[in-house]
Amino acid sequence: MGNVLVLAEHRQGELRDISIEMLALAPSVAEALGGEVMVLLLGSEVGPMAEKIAGHGVKVLVVDDPLFADYNSDKYQKVLSALIDDYKPKLVMMGQTAQGVDLAPALAVEKGLPFVPDIIGLEVEGGVIKATRQLYSGKVNAQVALKEADTGLVTVREAAFEAPDPSTAGAVEKIDSPLKEDLDYRKFVEYIEAEIGDVDITQSEILVGIGRGLKEDKNLPVAEALAEVIKADLCGSRAACDAGWLPDDRQVGTSGKTVQPKLYICMGISGAFQHIAGIKGAKTIVAINKDPNAPIFAEADYAIIDDLHKIVPQLTEKLKELKG
Amino acid sequence: MMRGMKMTTENQTFAEKFDLLGCIQCGRCTGGCPVTVRTNLNVRRFVYDAYDEGLLEELARVTDIWDCTACHTCAVRCPKGLKPLEVLIGLRSLVVESGKTQPTVRDALESTFMEGNPWDKPRATRNDWMEGLDVRIAEPDQKVENLFFVCCTIAYDPRVQVTARNMVRLLKKAGVDYAFLGTDETCCGSEIFTLGEDGLFEMLIEDNTELLNEYRADRIVALSPHCFTTFNTHYPDLNKPVIHYTQLLAELLEQGKLVFEKGLHKKIVYHDPCYLGKQSGVFEEPRRVLQAIEGVELVEFNRNRERSLCCEGGGGKMWVESESKIERLAETRIKDAHALGADIVAAACPFCVLTLDDALKAEGFEEEMQVAEIMEILGELEEMQDNSSSAQEVED
Amino acid sequence: MKIFTCIKYVPDTSEAEVKLDSEGTGVDSSRFSFDINDADNYAVEESVLIKEKHDGDVTVVSIGPKNSDVMIRMAMAKGCDRAIRIEDERIAAHDPLMVAKVLAGAIKDQEFDLVFTGCMAEDYGQAATGVALAELLGVSHAAYVKKVEIEDGKVKAHRELEGGLREVVEISLPAVLTIQTGINEPRYAPIRGIRQAQKKELKVMNLDDLGIPEGEVNAEASRIVLEKLYIPVVESKAEIIEGEPEEKAEKLASILVKGGLV
Ligand SMILES: Cc1cc2nc3c(=O)[nH]c(=O)nc-3n(C[C@H](O)[C@H](O)[C@H](O)COP(=O)(O)OP(=O)(O)OC[C@H]3O[C@@H](n4cnc5c(N)ncnc54)[C@H](O)[C@@H]3O)c2cc1C
Ligand code: SF4
Ligand code: SF4
Repeated sequence: MGNVLVLAEHRQGELRDISIEMLALAPSVAEALGGEVMVLLLGSEVGPMAEKIAGHGVKVLVVDDPLFADYNSDKYQKVLSALIDDYKPKLVMMGQTAQGVDLAPALAVEKGLPFVPDIIGLEVEGGVIKATRQLYSGKVNAQVALKEADTGLVTVREAAFEAPDPSTAGAVEKIDSPLKEDLDYRKFVEYIEAEIGDVDITQSEILVGIGRGLKEDKNLPVAEALAEVIKADLCGSRAACDAGWLPDDRQVGTSGKTVQPKLYICMGISGAFQHIAGIKGAKTIVAINKDPNAPIFAEADYAIIDDLHKIVPQLTEKLKELKG
Repeated sequence: MMRGMKMTTENQTFAEKFDLLGCIQCGRCTGGCPVTVRTNLNVRRFVYDAYDEGLLEELARVTDIWDCTACHTCAVRCPKGLKPLEVLIGLRSLVVESGKTQPTVRDALESTFMEGNPWDKPRATRNDWMEGLDVRIAEPDQKVENLFFVCCTIAYDPRVQVTARNMVRLLKKAGVDYAFLGTDETCCGSEIFTLGEDGLFEMLIEDNTELLNEYRADRIVALSPHCFTTFNTHYPDLNKPVIHYTQLLAELLEQGKLVFEKGLHKKIVYHDPCYLGKQSGVFEEPRRVLQAIEGVELVEFNRNRERSLCCEGGGGKMWVESESKIERLAETRIKDAHALGADIVAAACPFCVLTLDDALKAEGFEEEMQVAEIMEILGELEEMQDNSSSAQEVED
Repeated sequence: MKIFTCIKYVPDTSEAEVKLDSEGTGVDSSRFSFDINDADNYAVEESVLIKEKHDGDVTVVSIGPKNSDVMIRMAMAKGCDRAIRIEDERIAAHDPLMVAKVLAGAIKDQEFDLVFTGCMAEDYGQAATGVALAELLGVSHAAYVKKVEIEDGKVKAHRELEGGLREVVEISLPAVLTIQTGINEPRYAPIRGIRQAQKKELKVMNLDDLGIPEGEVNAEASRIVLEKLYIPVVESKAEIIEGEPEEKAEKLASILVKGGLV
């Protein structure tokens, strides 16, 4: 039978979104393989989490043991290895997350599994599992087939799939921990939260960029309000830093920082070559500028040609509403 | 060439290399240094302190050394013929050799080493500016009169690519025998030298000399004053002369090969780029070109020719920001131009165009005034012609 | 402290248009510039910093073409002591597990305390080689490492998790760490240093030299098949959002939210 085993992920008592996102994919694959979806949850006192997952109409296998309070690659690997032997799933799925990348490759080597990391699509064609993944930061797609094997392994990109809504209630089954005693090759020490007030824009996930088009520092709140709603950090063109609207370490460009946010929303920035050089690592660029010929538009994914003062405050409001 | 300019051998002391003993501490260098109005740089002080070898490391850590724009005013003014700025560059070298440069400088240097340009662009795309133009590319065994050297900034920065594009159109129109280099063209090293990367600069000199000597050209025409001056001062083994494009244009005008049939009724103030004027003594040719346009009223800055105010674009400053929040020199320059009532600030250097254009926007004068490369102005004339008459000479 | 640092020579495709080669199984890289993989550059710096602090020596290992020697020389100019470059067409380079096997083959019989890799290569973006390598070498590992502290035979690795959170783990040496960008500020390799590094040893080896049977690391051995590459259809670069200001704001907000961008 071609079952699909999905490894749920949680941290600090919270189920991570990827766990559910994978359920957008797993059922159709399981069906094509003629099996069912099993979600594996390793943790300590994770009853409610198990129920939540089961609410998506899947079977949840729970190992509830203080040994699994925090993620540990060695312990996870031991358990998965044992459960792959016991349950013989046709496919194992986990997230391409800080946890998944720390675990999946080692597991693949240990068990000799066909392994495709960071997938954004998955199909079964004539019994063969085929994954889609991106190369060259999304400029090329690759179709990769897993050779015939008892078990294959893929890791799924975060946010590549929309988490399905809860459906019917599935079953929660507690299973014995295959791990009888603690392992001490690798010890979890602690979590450290990001320091607040100490922004390093090269590490920011979302950036709001301001340029000379903002005109005066009294307009700064326009950008700050937007940044607050979408949890972005502020950065700027040299013009904006020169004007003292932002400290120098927020300057983006050849003589500033090179940034690589997932989202860069810039307003009143013309897109001078020296600025563009610093944002080439940005995944999605939104440009708001009143000049239709501003070079920034050649770089942007989304463009609004208008006065930023007419657009940004409303955008902030709409985002507030939509995000609830 | 000049003293202190020749490549030094490793075992020379700092004082010998820069002739520090020759300094009489007259202070003319600092007195003329334009950046003193906005930074703490005191170049005389460095010339004095660097005499003490034990102090060098400490001096190299002073961020002031990165404020120098390599305008060469100090060298022009020094009564003893020293090049005070090269002491600062020597200190920058210590930083570069230690590997602990600012990341922006590191990236520019690495890109120059790997791809032949400081802009982090692939070598393979160096000629992309030619798109849509039919440009003659030089072949080593083919004789050509004028071999063009474009410059990394003109080749890659869309704001100034127009310099090269308009040049191609003008050359065809004037029937000039020309060719451009292919993607083999490699950074001249002007900014690499001022950033203090001696080893890389030496490598560029060797590679470029070898490359350029291969071509059977009568002369090299550089579009940027930085390449022009660098070839003429740092490349002892080049086998052909190097001129700046404004010199070629002046020549064409004189020979009657270049005629501007259309006029331009504008008040233009010409900004002398440090690398063209102060450093290479080309003052009149650009002015002659502008004056040849009918209707142009050419006015002068108070600080013109040898006394021209530096725009702060050179000296590696494209990659190093000064901490000072005091008005940029380019802004001062733009204000001066505005006070003169100029319609256009003309320059013949990509760095000047970039810095002045930026300053123009900072001052909010976009509506009243314009910053333009001379080739940009000529291109506009050309366009006016294209629009007004249908029977233009055929391009080749 | 004996350190091995694995690095890769990759094309910079951030600004370039990527086209497939005539066979459709690779990309046409004629218009790209190549350089050390970003994360690997940080790995080199971290290994040199550790060498400077704790004494020791660093061996660079890279699988790649002759052109990549310049990158290896740069790493040696920064302080790495010697290098092994493995060049062999038979390696199934698209499979991180095969790549890891080759790297392991070059390292396993030597004495080592730490092995560094970049956490992810910019070209294939799999983020898998380092952790697979650890398993093959039979040592502990930590992925996405943003800080390294070494104390009596143990290393404290700060792993970067999502949302700015870090996880600190303690592992005993020897170990493999996959290094995340931003862990340090990579130094510049001055050209004089690169010239001097010409004197350092750079061994070029193939599978036979390493004693790795071809059948363990080639396309046959790989358990995945790269069936095809294709250029995804992307909407024309900028999507211009039109309408009255309010509509524009509303449309953009919904694009951002629905697209999971915010
Ligand atoms: C040596 C050197 C180094 C440099 N290094 C850097 C660097 O590291 N980083 C950097 O960013 N720049 C750098 N620059 C400067 C760069 O060339 C540009 O001048 C600068 O990026 C321009 O900043 P800007 O886009 O904010 O301003 P501008 O170019 O003036 O653009 C302002 C834009 O705002 C728009 N606008 C105005 N009002 C509104 C409105 N109400 N609503 C919407 N849009 C509006 C305008 O249409 C315009 O496009 C450097 C320049 C030099 C010479
Ligand atoms: S070159 Fe110009 S900026 Fe540099 S020290 Fe001399 S006068 Fe000052
Ligand atoms: S101008 Fe020349 S002699 Fe005078 S202080 Fe400066 S370096 Fe010395």
